[in-house]
Amino acid sequence: MKTTVFHRKTLLVTGLALLALTALALGVSQALAHRPAVATPQISPLHPPFALLDSEGQNVLQSGRAISTMQTCGQCHDTAFIESHSFHADLGLKTGGGLYGKWDPLTYRYLSQPGDKRLDLSTAEWLMINGARIPGGGPATTSRSGQPLSEIAPNPTNPEAAILNSATGQPEGWDWSKSGVMEMNCFLCHLPQPNLSARAEEIRAGRFGQANTATLLGTGWVERTPSGFAYNPAAFGADGKLKAEFVRIQDPTNENCAACHGEVHVSNPEPLLVSACDLNYHQTATTGQVFAGQKISLSGVNLQGKQNLNRAWDIHAERGLQCTDCHYSLNNPAHALSFSAPGHLAYDPRKLEIGEYLLRPDHNFARGQSAQFTVAPSLKGTMRRCESCHNAVSTHSDWLPYTSQHMSVLACESCHIPQMYAPAIQSYDWTVISIEGSPTRLCRGLTGDDTVNNLVTGYQPVLMQRTNIDGQKLLAPYNLVTTFYWVYDSANGPRPVREIDLKAAYLSNGQYASEIVAAFDTDKNGQIDPAELRTDTIEKQAAVAARLEALGLENPRIEGQIQPYSINHNVAGKGHAIRECTTCHHENSRVTAPLQLTTYTPAGVMPQFVGDTNVNLTGEIVSGENGALFYQPVTIKDGVYVFGRDRVPWVDWFGALAFVGTLFGVAGHGTLRYLSWLKRPKHQPVLKSVYMYEAYERFWHWLQTFSILFLLLSGLVIHRPDMFGAFSFPHMVLIHNVLAAILILNFLFALFWHVTTGEVRQYIPNFLKPVGIINDMVVQIKFYTIGIFKGEPHPFEKRREKKLNPLQQFTYFGLLTVLLPLQMLSGALMWGVQQWPQIASWFGGLPFLAPLHSLIAWLLGAFIVGHVYLTTTGATPLEAMRAMVTGWEEVESEHHHS
Amino acid sequence: MSKVKPYWLLGLIGILAVMLVPIIVFWPKSARALDDPWAAVPKHPVHVPHNDIIAARFKEVDPATVTGPDITRACLECHPKAAEDVMMTSHWTWQGPEVEIPWRNGEKVAIGKFNQINNFCISAAGNQRSCTSCHIGYNWTEDNYGANLNDPANVDCLVCHAQSGYAKGKYGNPKDGTNLIAAAQSVGAPTRLQCGKCHFNGGGGNGVKHGDLDESLYYPSESQDVHMGRNNFVCTDCHVTTNHQIKGRLVADNLVIDPAEQVSCTQCHNANPHEDERIGLHMDSVACQTCHIPAFATEDPTKVSWDWSTSGQDLGDDHYKYLKIKGSFVYQKNVQPTYLWFNGSLAYRYLIGDVIDPSQPTYINKPAGSIEDPQAKIFPFKLHVGKQPYDTGFNYLLAPITAGPDGYWTTFDWDRAFRLAEERIGLPYSGSYGFTETWMYWPITHMVQPKENALRCNDCHGENGRMDWQALGYPGDPMQWGGRK
Repeated sequence: MKTTVFHRKTLLVTGLALLALTALALGVSQALAHRPAVATPQISPLHPPFALLDSEGQNVLQSGRAISTMQTCGQCHDTAFIESHSFHADLGLKTGGGLYGKWDPLTYRYLSQPGDKRLDLSTAEWLMINGARIPGGGPATTSRSGQPLSEIAPNPTNPEAAILNSATGQPEGWDWSKSGVMEMNCFLCHLPQPNLSARAEEIRAGRFGQANTATLLGTGWVERTPSGFAYNPAAFGADGKLKAEFVRIQDPTNENCAACHGEVHVSNPEPLLVSACDLNYHQTATTGQVFAGQKISLSGVNLQGKQNLNRAWDIHAERGLQCTDCHYSLNNPAHALSFSAPGHLAYDPRKLEIGEYLLRPDHNFARGQSAQFTVAPSLKGTMRRCESCHNAVSTHSDWLPYTSQHMSVLACESCHIPQMYAPAIQSYDWTVISIEGSPTRLCRGLTGDDTVNNLVTGYQPVLMQRTNIDGQKLLAPYNLVTTFYWVYDSANGPRPVREIDLKAAYLSNGQYASEIVAAFDTDKNGQIDPAELRTDTIEKQAAVAARLEALGLENPRIEGQIQPYSINHNVAGKGHAIRECTTCHHENSRVTAPLQLTTYTPAGVMPQFVGDTNVNLTGEIVSGENGALFYQPVTIKDGVYVFGRDRVPWVDWFGALAFVGTLFGVAGHGTLRYLSWLKRPKHQPVLKSVYMYEAYERFWHWLQTFSILFLLLSGLVIHRPDMFGAFSFPHMVLIHNVLAAILILNFLFALFWHVTTGEVRQYIPNFLKPVGIINDMVVQIKFYTIGIFKGEPHPFEKRREKKLNPLQQFTYFGLLTVLLPLQMLSGALMWGVQQWPQIASWFGGLPFLAPLHSLIAWLLGAFIVGHVYLTTTGATPLEAMRAMVTGWEEVESEHHHS
Repeated sequence: MSKVKPYWLLGLIGILAVMLVPIIVFWPKSARALDDPWAAVPKHPVHVPHNDIIAARFKEVDPATVTGPDITRACLECHPKAAEDVMMTSHWTWQGPEVEIPWRNGEKVAIGKFNQINNFCISAAGNQRSCTSCHIGYNWTEDNYGANLNDPANVDCLVCHAQSGYAKGKYGNPKDGTNLIAAAQSVGAPTRLQCGKCHFNGGGGNGVKHGDLDESLYYPSESQDVHMGRNNFVCTDCHVTTNHQIKGRLVADNLVIDPAEQVSCTQCHNANPHEDERIGLHMDSVACQTCHIPAFATEDPTKVSWDWSTSGQDLGDDHYKYLKIKGSFVYQKNVQPTYLWFNGSLAYRYLIGDVIDPSQPTYINKPAGSIEDPQAKIFPFKLHVGKQPYDTGFNYLLAPITAGPDGYWTTFDWDRAFRLAEERIGLPYSGSYGFTETWMYWPITHMVQPKENALRCNDCHGENGRMDWQALGYPGDPMQWGGRK
C-alpha cells in the first residue's frame, strides 16, 4: 500500500516537473522574468553549522558510518531529555496505550507478548511495518524492560529478538546488532524535505540503522552508493561541519506532521488529491479529515456538488495556522499557557528563556482528548482548543438564542464540522480474506470501490457525547469504524488469529481451499464471488472455524468492535457552519442522525464499542436490511432534550385526547341544548343590566386570553417544527418568550389588583364549609347536565360581587393556583436553563420540565374550549362574552335556590 | 350601546400593542447597516426610438451623399448642447487638465495622446490615419494635429450611440459605404457593445492593452465579471455620465487623478461590507480589486510583452506570437496580477522627449504610492513589458510613424519612420536608434469575480502566498510580522 502511495506522489512530482519544463521551453515565462525576483526565504537563519556524528560520537566524514541523531543534535540539544519527553518516541512503550502495544484491528497484526506460543508481530517486524510512520526512539531503540535493543541476542522465542518467517511460518532470531536500531529522527520533522521514501525503504528492508541517514538523501549532505551511503565532502567545511548554506534546519511545518498523520495540503494552487481510506494517511483514512487551506471547489477530489463548496477544507489552514500553533511543545515559552499562574496574575512572566528552551525543548506536544489516541493520557486536553482563542459566547449571542445552553451541550465541532468531504473507513472485515490476503474493506462517503477516481459523496459524522477532562459533557462529531475478526484462546488469553493462520485457513496454494469453496460458494458456480465472501451463515463460520481448529487454534470465534474516531479538523467558518435551527430542532434532527456501521453482520455477531474512550455510549445499535447495522444516538439519555425533536409520546396523546374530548363534549352538549331549546316554549326571562366587569378586569382578561392563545400557537410550532415548517423557529421562540413574560407580568398585576381590591375572594371557595361547596357544585353540575336542557334558570345568580358559580369558582381556583403557575414556573425554568442550568436540573432538567410544560399546555387548551363554551350559557349565548367586552351584562333578575 | 364601541376597540388596540411592542423591541436586528448596492445604480430612462425622427429628417436625401457631420448637425437640432458637452471631455480632447510635471521643473503640461507614448503601438500622434479609428471625431488629418477638433459638426455621435450598422474607417471617418441614416435611426444609450468597440480593442486588437477589458465582456459569464455577467451592468452604470462627461479616468494616461473623478467600488458598496472582522482589518491597506479580481484576462488572452526589435522579418505571422509589422509578443490568459502600492495617481509618466537610461528598463508609467503613503493601498496591475526603439544619440524613446503609405508598416524602414515623425510631430531624430526595455503598468479594476472567488487568506499569506512582501516594503509576511502602522 505504501509503495502505491509514493508511486502516486512520484508520478505527481514528475508530471509537475515535466509541465514546468514544457512551460520553460515554450518561453511562457519570458515576460515574467522581468518581475521583481521573489526572495527565497532562508529556512534556518539562526541554526549554526554543525558536524554530523555517528553513534560513537565520531565525525561521519572520518568514520563513514551512519549518522546518529542523538550524538549529532546532542552536541547542543539535550537529546536524552527530548527523547524521554516525547510520546511520539515512546508510543506507549512506557506509558502503554500507544501504537506500540495497543492492538489496532485495522492494521491487524498483533504485537506478541512474552510467552505467546504463536509469534505474530515481533518488535523487529512491528518496526518494519510501522517504522515509516514513527519518528524512532522508544520501542525502536529500547526493549520493554528498558534494555537497549542492540544488546539483546537473537532468540526465536523472544518476541523482541525474533521475526516470523512468512515462508515457513516459523519464528527465527533477529540480530539487532546487524540491523541496527532507529534513533529518534530529528530530521524527519526539522528538515523542509526529509526523504521519506528512502527512509521507508531502509525501514521496510530491516536496515533500521540506516534509516536516519537515508532521510538526508536530497539535502546534499549524503549520497547513495551501491554499498550504502557516502557523505558529500563538498557540503562540509574544513572544520568538518556542514557549510552554512547546507544547513536547512527549521521548525516543523504542516508538511512534516502530514508525513505521518494524514492528508495535509500546503501548495495552494496545485489541486489537492485524496486517496480514499488509505491508512498511510491515517487520520484522513479513519475520519476523512483533510487539513488544507485550499477551497474544496478548487481541489482535485471528484466530489459531489464540489462547485458550490467555496470554503476551505479547514478554515484554520486557510488562515495560516500551523499544526504546532495548537499542538505546541509544552514548554515553548512562546506558546505555553501558564496553568500554574495564580488567579491574581493575568500574565506570569516567569518562563523559560529561549536558549533554555532550545536546550531542552519538551517534545511532548500539547494534545487533545480524542477517542482514538490513548497514549500519554496525562497530557489529554493540554492543547489550545477553540475556546483558547475564540470567545464563542460573544460571537454567537447576537443571533443564537440560548447561547450558553447550546455551548454547554455542544462542542464547537458539532456545528463547525457539519460534513466530511473526504471518504473514511466504515468497516474492515477480517473474518474473510481475499486471495491476496486482504480483508473486506468498506469506505463511507464514496460510491464504488475505486479509491481515487470514484465519486466522493462525503458523509455526515455522528454526534456522540464525550466527557472532557474537565468533566464537561458535550456532543461532538465522530466517525465509527467497525471491525470483525477471528480470535482464539491462547495460554496468555484471547488473541486475534494471526494473519498467517488466517491465510492458511482460507488459502491453499494461492487459491481458496476446497472446504472453504464448498462452504462459501452458495450459488455453486465453482468460485467465491465478492458477495459470497462473507461469514454471514453458520455453515461458512463453521467451515472457517474448523480449518482454524485444524491449525491448533482453540475456540476460534468471531468478534467485532466499534472504534469511535474524533473529528476536530476540517473546521468550517461561520458562513458554512450549521446555523439553521431546524437542522437540529426538527423531527429529523441532525443531533440524532444515525450512522451506518456495516452493510452486513458476520454470523450475527454484535460488535462492541471499545472501552478506552471518553465517549458515552448511550446510543443503540439497530439492525437494518440484510444485517446492516446502524448506530442510533439517543441523546435524551445523555440528558440532552432537543426542542422540536424530543417529546414524550404519551403526553401528546393524552393531551390531544383531553383537548379533542373537550371539543366533542361541548359540541354534543351544545347540540343537545340547541335541540331542547327548539322544542321548548320560549319565554322571555326578566333581565336586568349589571356592570359586571371593571375596565381593568376586562383588560387583564383579554390580555391573558391573547397571550395564552399565541403562546399555545407558538409553543405548538416549537414543539413540532416539522409540522409547521412555514414558521421561523427562532422567531417563534422569541415570540413565545416575550409573550410568556407578558403573561407572567399580567398575572402578577392582576393578583395585586385582586388582592388589594378584595376581589380575590370571588375565586376562593369557602373551604370552611366543604360540604356546602360540594352541595353547591352538585347543584351546578345538575344544572349543566339536566336543568339547562329544560330551560331552567341558573341555580346561582351572577352578581357583581359574586360572578362565579361554585363550579367555576373551584375550576378557576385550581387553574389560577395550580395549572397556570405551574406552567409559568416550568416555562421560566426552561428559559432560565441558559443562565442557571443548575436550578432547572434540581427540577429534573429539560427532559422532565419540557414534557410537563407540553402536558399543561394541552390541558390549558382543553380548558379554553370548555371555558369559551360555558360563556354561551348566559342569558343569551353571546351575552357573557359581550359583558367581558363592555362590562355590562344582562342577567336574569329572578332566580331559584334549590 | 354604540356609544361604548370605540372604547373596547381602543382596549383591543391597547392589548395588541402591549404584546407587539416588546416583540418588536426584542426582534433580532441585523447588527450591521444594510448594504444595498442597488440603491446607487443609475436607473435607465426608456430611450425614445429615433427611427421615425431620423427617417423624417432625411426623407428626401440619398443615403450615399450623407456625411458624418451631416448626421451630427441633425442631432444637434434637437440636442443643441450635446456637441459642446462632448467637446469638453477627454474623449474629445484626448488629454487631461494641465498638471505640474515634477521631473520637468514644475512645467505645466496637459498630458495627452500628442505628448505621450506607450509601449504598444507607441504613438498616436502622427498616426492619426489609423489611431483615430477609435477617436470620436471626424475629419482628422495627418499633419495638422487636432485642427478638426474645433468644429462641433466633427463630433461623431454615432460611434457611441448607433446600436447597429456603424463602423469607423480612416481619419476618424465612417467606413466607406456605411448607411449613416440607417445607423442614425438605431441610436440609443451606449451599451457594452459601443464602449467595448474601442476600449476592448485598445492597442490594436482584442484584449491587447488592458488585460481586464476585452471582447469577452460583451456577453460575459457570471464568474468572469459579476457586475456585467450576473447583473448585466452596462459601462455607464459605474462610469456614471452626466452631459457626456463620463466618470472614470485611466491612470496609465494621466499623472494625477482627483479621486472625485474616479470610479470606485464605494459608489455603491459600503467602505467595509465584510462581516468578517479579520477581512475588515485589511481595508486600509488592500484595495477591493486586489482580492476580488484574483486574475485578469480570464477568457481571452492579453498581451504581456511586445518586442518591436524583431519586426520586419518574414517569420510567418501568428496573431499571438509574431507579426511582421509589429514584432514578437507574449499573450497570457488568466494572469495573476502584479501588486504595487497605489494611491490612485502616477509617480511618473513618460512624456515625449524624456531622457532615459537605456541600460535600465524605462517606466512608461509608474504608479504612485508606497507602504509609507497612508492613501496608498496594495492594488493589482498588469505589467506590460515592451522592447521599443529609442534614439541612441539623444537617449529618448522614439515615436515612429507606422500607419500610412510611408509608415513603417508599409516600408519596414525604421529610419524613414523616425524621420517622418520628426517632420510631423517635431521629435528630432539623431540618425541612430536601438531598442530598450520599457515597463507599463495597467490598473486592474474590471473583471470583478463573484465573492466566492475572491482571494482567501492563504492566497497571499503563508508559504505559498502570491505577495512579495519584502518588495512591498514589509519586513515579512504581515500575518506574522504585523501590518503597517
